[in-house]
Amino acid sequence: MVRTRGLGVLIAATFVAFACGGTSTGGSSKGEIVIASDLPTSGADASSGLPTQYGAAFAVSQMGTLKGYTLKFTPFDDAVNGKHDPTKGAQNVQQILSNSKVLGMVGPFNSGVAAAEIPVANQAPLAMISPSNTNECLTLAFDYCQKYAGYTAAGLRPTGKNNYFRIAANDTFQGPAMGDFAYDTLGLKTVAVWDDQEPFGLGVANTFSAEFTKKGGKIVVRQGFDTTSKPDFHTWLNRAKTAGAQGIYAGATSASYGCLARAQSQGIFDPATSYYLGPDGIGDGQCITDSGAMASDKMYASQGVADAESNPTAATTVAAYKKAHPTAADTGAYTFAGYDCAAILLDAIGRAIDAKGGNLPSRQDVIDQMAKTSNFPGLTGTYTLNSVGDPTKPALQIQQYKSGAWSTVKNIAVTV
Amino acid sequence: MGARVERLRASLIGTPSGTLLNLVGFVVVAVVAIATVQRVYQGGGTYFFQTIGFGLAQGAIFALVALGYTMVYGIIELINFAHGDVFTLGAFISLALMPLFGLTEGSISGLQIVLPLLGLFVVTMLLCALVNITIERVAYRPLRHAPRLAPLITAIGMSSLLEGAMNVWRGPFNLHYPSFLPEFQIQLGGGVTIAAKAVMVIVIAVVLMIALTLFVNRSKLGKAMRATAQDRDAAQLMGIDINRTISATFFIGAALAGAAGIIYGLYYNSVQAFDGFTYGLYAFTAAVFGGIGNIPGAALGGLLIGVIFSISDGYFSVAWTQIMIFAILIFVLVFRPTGLLGMRVPEK
Repeated sequence: MVRTRGLGVLIAATFVAFACGGTSTGGSSKGEIVIASDLPTSGADASSGLPTQYGAAFAVSQMGTLKGYTLKFTPFDDAVNGKHDPTKGAQNVQQILSNSKVLGMVGPFNSGVAAAEIPVANQAPLAMISPSNTNECLTLAFDYCQKYAGYTAAGLRPTGKNNYFRIAANDTFQGPAMGDFAYDTLGLKTVAVWDDQEPFGLGVANTFSAEFTKKGGKIVVRQGFDTTSKPDFHTWLNRAKTAGAQGIYAGATSASYGCLARAQSQGIFDPATSYYLGPDGIGDGQCITDSGAMASDKMYASQGVADAESNPTAATTVAAYKKAHPTAADTGAYTFAGYDCAAILLDAIGRAIDAKGGNLPSRQDVIDQMAKTSNFPGLTGTYTLNSVGDPTKPALQIQQYKSGAWSTVKNIAVTV
Repeated sequence: MGARVERLRASLIGTPSGTLLNLVGFVVVAVVAIATVQRVYQGGGTYFFQTIGFGLAQGAIFALVALGYTMVYGIIELINFAHGDVFTLGAFISLALMPLFGLTEGSISGLQIVLPLLGLFVVTMLLCALVNITIERVAYRPLRHAPRLAPLITAIGMSSLLEGAMNVWRGPFNLHYPSFLPEFQIQLGGGVTIAAKAVMVIVIAVVLMIALTLFVNRSKLGKAMRATAQDRDAAQLMGIDINRTISATFFIGAALAGAAGIIYGLYYNSVQAFDGFTYGLYAFTAAVFGGIGNIPGAALGGLLIGVIFSISDGYFSVAWTQIMIFAILIFVLVFRPTGLLGMRVPEK
């Protein structure tokens, strides 16, 4: 009798010991989880890619550990000769995949690079979340996608399942948002438009032109420039001036000479009275350097995310980030979007760990949880991700170049 | 030369298919010419002069670079692929020297810039010239009697070397080049204006080209260059120092390229290590267009290409520009293979 009871106590005690032994003993970690990033962090594109990387890195370092696992951040650079390069991006993803501790990646920054990376990550599979990809063909199906973008959303996912997410508003919103802003807020009636003949630039130039015309404005001249070599804008700028353009919309990025047209306007347009508008591709420091003496407060750019600094709940984190990164150039338009991407990814990983009873989840588990992201309170907005990877309530902002920096003048929330 | 053209013409016109092609060709040319004239008329006087102005400015820079290609080919029959990169180097060097002359964007303007800019030109041209004669001494002179392909590949190699050096020095991305060109419009009378910016570029280039022409035609070294280009052995027999003459050619060509680099920077406000490659291609095309080895030919070729560029950009569409330039080039070369003003290469 006594011996059986003692055995029962021993067995019960053993069970309790095992149950308690599941939790970490304070000091030692259960293992390492790596978050990778792939952004253009050298050359002309670095002024947009590097601040974004810092934002994501800050989110990871702020969290430090997740459910007992140590967090590590491994950044990759997809710029070649200063410009984002799809082939390099795909190579980076291969390298990221080879590290079994990586459970997700933040990036890429550019839609063209995403088109090269998604199929690679899709087959692994690995969760991707981009702070800034705006090309609508990455997640949605339109009949012009194969022709203009060179790919289709379905074509990028060989497994037939989705692994890609983003928090940025897609291009179908950026161009029209600036079109509305130019007509309604700036009161422009005639604009000249040029594009860099790349999928993103051409797309925003087209959607801007369509919206601006729909509102009642007139596109006086429209031109595509081959930006694989340095274009001479003078003759075209003169043509735009002669046609009565009050401003110019550049469907381009800084790496594709987006703001060179502004610099070459010297002697043709007056920087104090002529406008220069563009998408997020020109809303960076490189644009201002390229514009030289022609930079002025008549320059406006849209950004595919809302401004974190006008969000009161983000104030503490924003302040903490700025304390850790006092250089002004380290905070870019997508810094806090980068932060949010990393945070959403970590949140999904956390939920995946829980679903696995505290054990390390698989990469597919993380993807499944990403798709279930609902009302996540980010710095740049509250995010619910849908099954194709898009945010259900994307937000945009319009920035103006004023007193030496790009600052938000308008936040636009879009209801999809 | 003449016999070859005659045979070509005969082959084109003599056969039924040749005549048809000829007819089609002429119709296309006529349609394009009429369309151009019509659009020029519609656009009005001011727009025309503005467009031509920008075209000549663009062409003037091409011309300055083309001169280097043409002089070197004329004297040693080498296509100096590295020349376009010496031109880029000029832009890079001048960018680095600007603070020394007090040329900072925004803080200096008007007539104040004349003297510092002049100083910048002189020093940059000198440095580019020194680089080029070093290249000639080290890479081309040892291969002067080697099979033709050897110096050709060396030139391509030199081009890559220079691009690589600039890449290492300032990085691969675009550098902002300040503009010190005037911003106003010059009145030509009757309400027609032209950008002072374009005029400035044309004036500087023309002054340099005139200086070159005077030098080649009036000076002793210029005469030596012409003699060496015409017949190297005879020139040597007459007591001309061939090595010195060839070095002088490289020196002058690079000085002009260096000046072109500065003007390019001022006009386009952006320079990048690999710019010289594409630009050199256009400049060399201009040199062949005008007649390789022919100095006035290179100037004419450059200016013409610039004007075609501008008329196509201004009256048609940028997408047609490359087609127009090369179609005209092929058209001219088929009927005048020696280029517009004829070739000037060593007699064999």
